[in-house]
Amino acid sequence: MEPAGNIILRCEHLSRSFTTPSGTDYRVLGDVSFDVRENEFLVLFGPGQCGKTTLLNLLAGLDQPTGGFVEMQGEPVHAPSPSRGVVYQTTSLFPWLTVMGNVEFGPASRGIPKAERRKQAQYFIDLVGLKGFEKSYPNQLSGGMQQRAGIARAYCSDPSVLLMDEPFGHLDAQTRYMMEQELERIWRAEKRTVLFVTNNIEEALYLADRIILLTNCPSVICKEYMVNLPRPRNYVDPAFLQLRKEITREMDPTQ
Amino acid sequence: MQRIGKTVWKRLKANRQTLLWIVISFATLLIAWQVASMLSQGRVQIPAPLEVFEAFFRSMTVPIGKNTILEHAGISLWRVLLGFVVASVIGMAIGILMGVSPKAHAVINPLFEFVRPIPPIAWIPLSILWFGLGSSNKIFIIFLASFTYVTINSYEGARNVDPKLIGAARMLGASRRRVFTHVIFPSSVPYIFAGLQIALSVSWAAEVAAEIIYSQNGVGWIITMGMNNGNITQIMVGMIAIGVIGYLLSTLMRVVEGRLCRWNRQET
Amino acid sequence: MKRKKYLWLSIVSVLCVLVLWELVTDVLRLMPSYMLPSPLEVCKAFAYKVSGGVNPDGASLWTHIATSLKIALGGYLAGVVIGVPLGIAMAWYKKVDLFVKPLFDLLRPIPPLAWIPLMILWFGIGYGAKVVIIFISSMIACVVNSYAGIKQTRQVHIWVAKTFAATNLQILFRVALPTARPMILTGLKTSLGSAWMALVAAELLASTSGLGYMIQMARQMGRADIIVVGMIVIGLIGAALSSLLDLLTSRIGGKKTKRRG
Repeated sequence: MEPAGNIILRCEHLSRSFTTPSGTDYRVLGDVSFDVRENEFLVLFGPGQCGKTTLLNLLAGLDQPTGGFVEMQGEPVHAPSPSRGVVYQTTSLFPWLTVMGNVEFGPASRGIPKAERRKQAQYFIDLVGLKGFEKSYPNQLSGGMQQRAGIARAYCSDPSVLLMDEPFGHLDAQTRYMMEQELERIWRAEKRTVLFVTNNIEEALYLADRIILLTNCPSVICKEYMVNLPRPRNYVDPAFLQLRKEITREMDPTQ
Repeated sequence: MQRIGKTVWKRLKANRQTLLWIVISFATLLIAWQVASMLSQGRVQIPAPLEVFEAFFRSMTVPIGKNTILEHAGISLWRVLLGFVVASVIGMAIGILMGVSPKAHAVINPLFEFVRPIPPIAWIPLSILWFGLGSSNKIFIIFLASFTYVTINSYEGARNVDPKLIGAARMLGASRRRVFTHVIFPSSVPYIFAGLQIALSVSWAAEVAAEIIYSQNGVGWIITMGMNNGNITQIMVGMIAIGVIGYLLSTLMRVVEGRLCRWNRQET
Repeated sequence: MKRKKYLWLSIVSVLCVLVLWELVTDVLRLMPSYMLPSPLEVCKAFAYKVSGGVNPDGASLWTHIATSLKIALGGYLAGVVIGVPLGIAMAWYKKVDLFVKPLFDLLRPIPPLAWIPLMILWFGIGYGAKVVIIFISSMIACVVNSYAGIKQTRQVHIWVAKTFAATNLQILFRVALPTARPMILTGLKTSLGSAWMALVAAELLASTSGLGYMIQMARQMGRADIIVVGMIVIGLIGAALSSLLDLLTSRIGGKKTKRRG
């Protein structure tokens, strides 16, 4: 079955190699092609160190591919742009700014007047559930709250695509579970195209419209799954468990 | 106000043991000093503690040389302030420039490395030849003493900015200039402050040394005059003044840092 | 890698300064030589002093170096031998900490150099006063760093040692000291720098021999070339002592220290 919607982001034969200190080429990403469609929640799922972050950096425009290209709405991607917001694994909040300062950083960079950007920022702070913490510094927040602020900051520069690099990877299991539910709620309230990287199968199945499976180094796409379960999903729903079993077997045939 | 009073009282109660020991150790010092002064004779003279404190408070109204001790302190502090401020501004600019541009680092660093091993005090004779015997030679020494620390720390700060933060700022649409003013600079501030703190205490030490070696006024002059006249009480008065000012300067820096780097503190 | 890429820039920059220095002095004569000697004059003065010339300060460079080194190393060693154990004892034994710390905090704001006049009156302008000054300035850094190093010991490590029934002294030597080693070594290095600076200051003020005396005499005679020679020698010896210490401590500390330091 083909996913619906217009293509917003395209990767064609994307590859990236690094030169090791000993001088040999180390291929992290090998020939990856896929499309991202408008307003879909796409999860890139793969094992441990399989080049997912490298892939995301290429999509963000923070790094240049050794082969192939990235295209956004028909335009080639060379540099970072506010149209592609990123939420990182560990917090990348500016520690010297308050939550408000961080969230309004994007609009402020574009020269939007103070009153207006404050209003925008406040809307997203409320949306992610940080009302009352506007004046807190990042080091006064818990890990989950820091990621909420990170999500609000990414949303606030009004991106067409949100790139999320294992945003909940460093949280404890309980908080992680809660944040997954929260992200889905936020996403349903403010629909954006999301490209979410994770190595946690439950997280992938809970959030995704579509899952792309990546193999280990060099990373290539090995399979694609459509997830058509009704939202919000249930971790113990038989269909959920069935799909989970299928993907787990795909990644590791011995199981 | 009442609340502050209460917390201070609570802390004192909790640290009763510390307080007791502070009293014990100061008492021991004073007694040892008193005994030493009674036993001292001949070349090694030690004035009694009371005599020294008396002289210290007297010197606030009765001048030593041409000025009271407060005026001497003011003269010394003014020199430190001038040298320190100029060195801080130039040091920060050069340090950050070296941190963001490898080319600038390649040009400036070797010159810096040539000059760095020479203690600032060793510049005093040359500085006197260049700037004469007045205030400006001391300001130059203070400049040299603080410049090194501010530059190195600003350089380290600008070089160690988390690349993820720069990436995040670019992603959010920040221009190169905004990345510099809103990311590189603020994230260097804790480093710069560490440098400023050392620089200020080193400046104070350099100022005192420069005044001891050659000057016509200032707190260092007080102790040199004491040495020349064999007046140990006056030397000790000068040393107390130097210690008090040194303490006030470092406390001031800590307070300012606490204000500016609030975000950098680990909340527990 | 980037540094190597711009090596030529570094070389050009040093050469430019030398050429500029020569231009300002010998060629354009913008600065009189009693204020700023030309590079060539400095080289000549250097050669003269190194080959044993005794003018204008009455002794050869080597005599001055020997005097300065003797005093600096004497005071420094005393500072280390007393400062490091004192810092460790303060950090490990609460009673010592409670008693010594207030005194230490009381005296610390006074820069060591401010003690010079008092010490000269008490011990004369000979060997004694200067050794005491250098002792004071090197001891402070040793105490501060050893103290901070021991305090870094992690409580978990102490608990582990306790469950193996280690005695207090065993914990100090097997757990706390290894933790503190990098900081103690930093202290040794910092105090060497301050010892060398204190020496120069003490010699500038009152002495009859030594590198500080040499540049002070040169100033009185208006011999800027000798001053610059003296400053270069002071810088070189300071740098040499500090790299010698690095060498010695890397032998003792092994690779671990290097990685952490």
